[in-house]
Amino acid sequence: MDTECVSLLPRVCEVLADSARSLPDDTTLEKLLDWFTGFTKAGGSLLEACPCLLEFVSTVVYNTTSDPSVLSFTLRLTGLMAASEDGFIMLQEYSVLDLVFKLQHWQEAGLWDDPCIRIGWIQGLWSMLQHPKALTFFVQSGDTPYFIEPLLQLQTDRSIFVASAANQMLAHILLFFQPPLSAGCNGIGKKDGDDKRTHASITDLDQPAITLENRAEYAAVVTAILEYLKESLVPKENTQLHQSLQLLKLLSLLLTQARSPLRDMLLQTVAGSLEELVTTGYSQLTVPLMDVILAAHSSGTDEPDKHITHLLSSMLKINKPADLIHAAAAVLRRGHHDTAHTAWAVRLLLLPLSIITGQTLLGAAGDEHHLSMVEQLKSKTLCIPVVCVSLTSSPQITLMPADFLPCPPVTIVTAVLSLLRVCSGHVSSSCTGCTEVFRNVIGSGKVQRCALDALTAFSCSPGAKEKISEVLTILTQYLDSPDSDPTVLHKSYQALVKWTCVCKDLSSIKDQLRQDLIRVVKKRVCDMRWEVRDSTVEFLGKAAGVLKSAKEEHDVFEALLGGCSCTTPLLKEALQDPESYVRASAISALAQTLAHSWHQGAALTQEQTEIVSRLLEILSQDTEGFARRAVIQFFITWFLSCSSHSPPSSSTSSSSSSLLMNSVHSILSLGSTDLDWEVKVHTLELAELLLDEAFSGHRGYGKGSNSHPALLHPNAVVSDQAWKSDLVSALSGLVELGVISVLLSGLFDCDRPVGLKACQLLITLRETVCPLSLEALDATTAMATVARVSCELPGWGWGQEIRKIVRMKKNDRANEMAVTGADEVCSKEHNEAGEHSVSEGGESVCVGVCEVLRSLGLDERLGVLTQSSDHVHNSPLSLLQDILTASAAHAHPDTQPGQEVIVDCY
Amino acid sequence: MKLYCLSGHPTLPCNVLKFKSTTIMLDCGLDTTSVLNFLPLPLVHSSRLSKLPGWVSKDGTVNLEKELKECSGRVFVDSHPEFCLPERELLDLSTIDVILISNYHCMMALPYITEHTGFTGTVYATEPTLQIGRLLMEELVNFMERVPKAQSATCWKNKEIQRILPGPLKDAVDVWTWKRCYSMQEVNSALSKVQLVGYSQKVELFGAVQVSPLSSGYSLGSSNWIIQSHHEKVSYVSGSSLLTTHPQPMDQSSLKNSDVLILTGLTQMPTANPDGMLGEFCSNLAMTIRAGGNVLVPCYSSGVIYDLLECLYQFIESASLGTTPFYFISPVANSSLEFSQIFAEWLCHNKQTKVYLPEPPFPHAELIQTNKLKHYPSIHGDFSSEFRQPCVVFTGHPSLRFGDVVHFMELWGKSSLNTIIFTEPDFSYLDALAPYQPLAMKCVYCPIDTRLNFHQVSKLLKEIQPLHVVCPEQYTQPPVSQSHRSDLMLELQPPPMPYRRCSVLNLPFRRRYERVYILPELANSLVPSEIKPGISVATVSAVLHSKDNKHTLQSVPKPPPVPPSKKRKRVMEEPPVVLVPKPLLSGAVPLEAFLATLQKHGITEVKVEETADGHILHLQAEDTLIQLEEDGTHIVCDNNEPLRTTLRDLVLRFLQKL
Repeated sequence: MDTECVSLLPRVCEVLADSARSLPDDTTLEKLLDWFTGFTKAGGSLLEACPCLLEFVSTVVYNTTSDPSVLSFTLRLTGLMAASEDGFIMLQEYSVLDLVFKLQHWQEAGLWDDPCIRIGWIQGLWSMLQHPKALTFFVQSGDTPYFIEPLLQLQTDRSIFVASAANQMLAHILLFFQPPLSAGCNGIGKKDGDDKRTHASITDLDQPAITLENRAEYAAVVTAILEYLKESLVPKENTQLHQSLQLLKLLSLLLTQARSPLRDMLLQTVAGSLEELVTTGYSQLTVPLMDVILAAHSSGTDEPDKHITHLLSSMLKINKPADLIHAAAAVLRRGHHDTAHTAWAVRLLLLPLSIITGQTLLGAAGDEHHLSMVEQLKSKTLCIPVVCVSLTSSPQITLMPADFLPCPPVTIVTAVLSLLRVCSGHVSSSCTGCTEVFRNVIGSGKVQRCALDALTAFSCSPGAKEKISEVLTILTQYLDSPDSDPTVLHKSYQALVKWTCVCKDLSSIKDQLRQDLIRVVKKRVCDMRWEVRDSTVEFLGKAAGVLKSAKEEHDVFEALLGGCSCTTPLLKEALQDPESYVRASAISALAQTLAHSWHQGAALTQEQTEIVSRLLEILSQDTEGFARRAVIQFFITWFLSCSSHSPPSSSTSSSSSSLLMNSVHSILSLGSTDLDWEVKVHTLELAELLLDEAFSGHRGYGKGSNSHPALLHPNAVVSDQAWKSDLVSALSGLVELGVISVLLSGLFDCDRPVGLKACQLLITLRETVCPLSLEALDATTAMATVARVSCELPGWGWGQEIRKIVRMKKNDRANEMAVTGADEVCSKEHNEAGEHSVSEGGESVCVGVCEVLRSLGLDERLGVLTQSSDHVHNSPLSLLQDILTASAAHAHPDTQPGQEVIVDCY
Repeated sequence: MKLYCLSGHPTLPCNVLKFKSTTIMLDCGLDTTSVLNFLPLPLVHSSRLSKLPGWVSKDGTVNLEKELKECSGRVFVDSHPEFCLPERELLDLSTIDVILISNYHCMMALPYITEHTGFTGTVYATEPTLQIGRLLMEELVNFMERVPKAQSATCWKNKEIQRILPGPLKDAVDVWTWKRCYSMQEVNSALSKVQLVGYSQKVELFGAVQVSPLSSGYSLGSSNWIIQSHHEKVSYVSGSSLLTTHPQPMDQSSLKNSDVLILTGLTQMPTANPDGMLGEFCSNLAMTIRAGGNVLVPCYSSGVIYDLLECLYQFIESASLGTTPFYFISPVANSSLEFSQIFAEWLCHNKQTKVYLPEPPFPHAELIQTNKLKHYPSIHGDFSSEFRQPCVVFTGHPSLRFGDVVHFMELWGKSSLNTIIFTEPDFSYLDALAPYQPLAMKCVYCPIDTRLNFHQVSKLLKEIQPLHVVCPEQYTQPPVSQSHRSDLMLELQPPPMPYRRCSVLNLPFRRRYERVYILPELANSLVPSEIKPGISVATVSAVLHSKDNKHTLQSVPKPPPVPPSKKRKRVMEEPPVVLVPKPLLSGAVPLEAFLATLQKHGITEVKVEETADGHILHLQAEDTLIQLEEDGTHIVCDNNEPLRTTLRDLVLRFLQKL
């Protein structure tokens, strides 16, 4: 812990303990506690590091007039300090613990009614209960555990935060102190006599912390909690449903984590209550109850308990169809592997689909729940959730082993397809579904979305591929329908991409369908709603990207959407869209569409030239950042796909990559002067690619080398001279492209991420062209040519800034030289510098790249930039200072209002 | 109360309601779908149409070459288009007292009803309904009259011949009643009978019923009607809309508590959501223009076109259609665009407020100002010199049988770059296009019908809860083509009463009460006595005077003073002896108290027997029975008149007298 902080802490404690003084803001205490927690977690001992805290706690706890939030903080802090055994012992020696956690103390002071005290109390105890001594304290002497009673009462606290914390606290005690696995065969389930005998064996095992005494204490806690569970699980009246809900959650948590003796006891205790809950059938409790039963049922080791199996069967036979569906869905969700129950749950989940669509999903045999389900589905409010649950589970069902399924997976796909048809109002007269239900689902966006999600997932189902033609027909219908909601259209596009991506063979698709799809897409690009235009443009990009990357023999993209010749004009049109999101999507989509031709190094077309000039226009004129960011990304993608094929710079002038290289300069200069910091960062990413490209294979270049391992062959013989001239030409190339200017201007950017990125890149560059380790050497011979490469600095802004730094550095060095008497070197250096003399302001001038790189103090800068801009404000020291300042300001009531200390709240 | 149904068309209704001695016609819609059986009337000579082969029956026995022409595999009548009128035989139209018009689309048959039938009544409509209705009629007459046809086909209507005709002609009903379009003179005469009314204005009809128009939200000045007497209320709902378009929103609350609700004019396109269709319209339009094609929108010159233009106004920029010209061609285009701007009080709130800015309520004013929208009375004249392609043309008639649209069909039909977008729901687009086949032009059907759909109407009815609903039979079952769509019909409890053309319905309610007025001086003389707390009763003797369906109680005229002479008069002349009426009794006889009173009067031996309606007291000593019942008391006492009188007086003591 920082000594400065430690020295401030006593005064801070004083402020906190003084009920008259105020705190800067209400998050202060939380921040303080976070700091302490972090320190403890890192292994530090709070009491040792800050002895003043002990005094603080013992003072505050007596002062019941303190702010409740400070008291709550004290409770939690005490718990934190007592989390280690040493701390615990010390606190007990000072008899602080008893008072802090004594319920009566708070009740008598009238503070217990404040929920923040109650939650502080729970959390304090919780933090403390990390070792056996704390358990002893928790239980204390007496017949019933001392703290357990109030904790159980808090389960039904009127504040849900308190109730929930109390609930989790119970789970913590039960699980944390449960005996280790190896001892778990007979432990606590037996009577006391038994207990003692097993305890002897436990202490022999690797659990020195759990003493014999602890075992008894733990048993007492367990007994009390179990007793409580037994009594309170079944609600006495409807108003207590909330409590039951809480307890069921606790129970399922316990059952999934508890080991054998505890688990068995839990099951034994609650068996009756669970049965009662199952029989009573509270709808709100169905899902949590199901979770409990499933957790109990999947015991892992042995045959599941017969009783629990029976309960599970009963849950899957309850007479409320809505609950039944949820129960069945829970079985699937928990990944249950009991064949009979899973198969039954699958039947239940498929029932609504089967009823609505009339598909024979469940075989010829009638279902006992058929009639009640039909009734349920006829009511609009109840119908939609049931159908949605059924749909959501259907993809999982299709992937199950055949013996769980009442029908082949394809039939389920067919059913969902016909449900989609019903939803859009296209009910064929041959449909044997329940017409009374149709009116509830026709036009329901929710059902449509669920069904489309299911359909998307079905693309991976076995045998689904044969449905491709039908699927595409329906999706085209949805895309064409004037009533489709934008979200429905979006999902339809997603499904379309997924299906065409999975099913490569589209030869079975009829021409008519293709034409329809192309027409629909063309129409949707002109939609009135920008969301729809955006989804459509995005789809075009994805389709081009996904479908092409598959590199199939017959181009799916070509087959389905008519290829680039069809979609590029649409995307070009979308570049003019009034909505910036659409423009941005169109730019990304264009990148995905053109990537293929770039990759193949196809010849330059008039269209590409047009697109590039339009993009440059967007970059320089668009008012929205999204579109401008997308433009830079576009060029990054282009660059990547060209360089993976052949270096862009080496291409012939007629290929598209020459166009790219010709545009780079404009992009870099426009991008680096953008107002949006993300555009600038993207521009730097492009600069990084150019760096990679230029120095790939060079010694010392850190990043690009990975992508071209062949060039780095250890035995490659490259003459030193050749390497140098290469380096010079690469660096000059970068200067010419404007990469160096972009990096240098980025370094002085007011946005930290930009500065950071630029700094990192400049360091990489420096390591490549003029590594510091070679500094002494280069002055003489080798690096001299590289050092001659210069770049132009503008006479304003960052240029001026750099010149100032370079001049200062030079003066320093000159002084140093004068002292050491290294005249010769000095004069040489001076001469060189004279070539690109650094003059004051106005005109732009040239400076040596290497010189600049060395002068800028990049490593120090990196250190500063890496720290977040608010690191000072967020430091514990700043927090402590804030507290002190605020209290000081408050202590002088005659302070002028204008002079008030404004506390930084974030 | 009876309802005579003269039209079977659910959105072009014509019904007659007989209610309390008044005969009220509700709307007179003109079914123009009959024109689809006729050949289009080209504005410019069309060699294609003039060269069509005539029709001869297969066996050659019937030759109607002059009257019927074969075109694209169908047979059309080569004559002036004719309309199917409302039924005129069901009742004597001259007996109609008033005609209530709900909107300008539902008055197109007015001249046929008011002229040459002996009609002498009044027509009630709102001002925009009258003015725009006049425009539509004027346009119709103009379309017909500027392309005169020398001959009129009648032979094909012969029943024997019609039977052997092919296709839809054979199945056309009542063809002999079809009539050619009226003349402008008839239109003017018919419209001169219109009396203007404002929303919620109450119009008394012969003192018997009161009628009042309510905003229906469908079009400018469109209304539903309330027809009510003091104790009965009939609502007539025709062409209403709950969507936020240009007209004033629908007044729903005034429709509450109706005994009968006559429901017509629901949407003709229950599956086409107007918003979706509007989107479809715009995207297809943009798609065509971008591809360099022209867009033709056959439409009426008023109504949805205002909303289309407003929607396009917003869409033009986003779809970069700024330079595309929009043309609106109709003989009444100018008036329609201008009228819409001046009916501010009939517009939705949003548009009304613009007037105070002051700004034109509809944005089409700006489109005209910036030259994006141009309007012309016809394709002749200025238009031909200004015409630039690609463009968007709005023009009539939506049936594609007459009007300037015929010309554009001939002009653009051959190129697949062009698109025709149907927005009016009144005609089947396939039938409308039949004489133009084969057609290369793309065709998009996005009917925009803002009238109530079934979902909205069932919600509305749940809210206003009429006792009975009467509607066209088409609304009581799902559409024939979509028999599974149980959501596309009215399901009500009690089920609605369906009607069809020529139905006569007895509306299911009995009139129970009638309001009677009482003159102040008579009222002044009444002496009310309280029979229950808060309820007082008085007896009235008066003369009931009925005139103009108003009933008034007047004081009984005093007998003329007896002349002083003692001369005997003839019996006949003697004034009627006004008998003082006996007081009316009310109240009940309390048993215990009555027994106590009897005892006081020495009657002690009373045996009380309980019966279903009250009690029987047996006075054993007197051998007398007193039956005390809820609405009567009988004293059975033989031959002891004094006792009977005493008992009677004792009973009367417990009762109140009026």
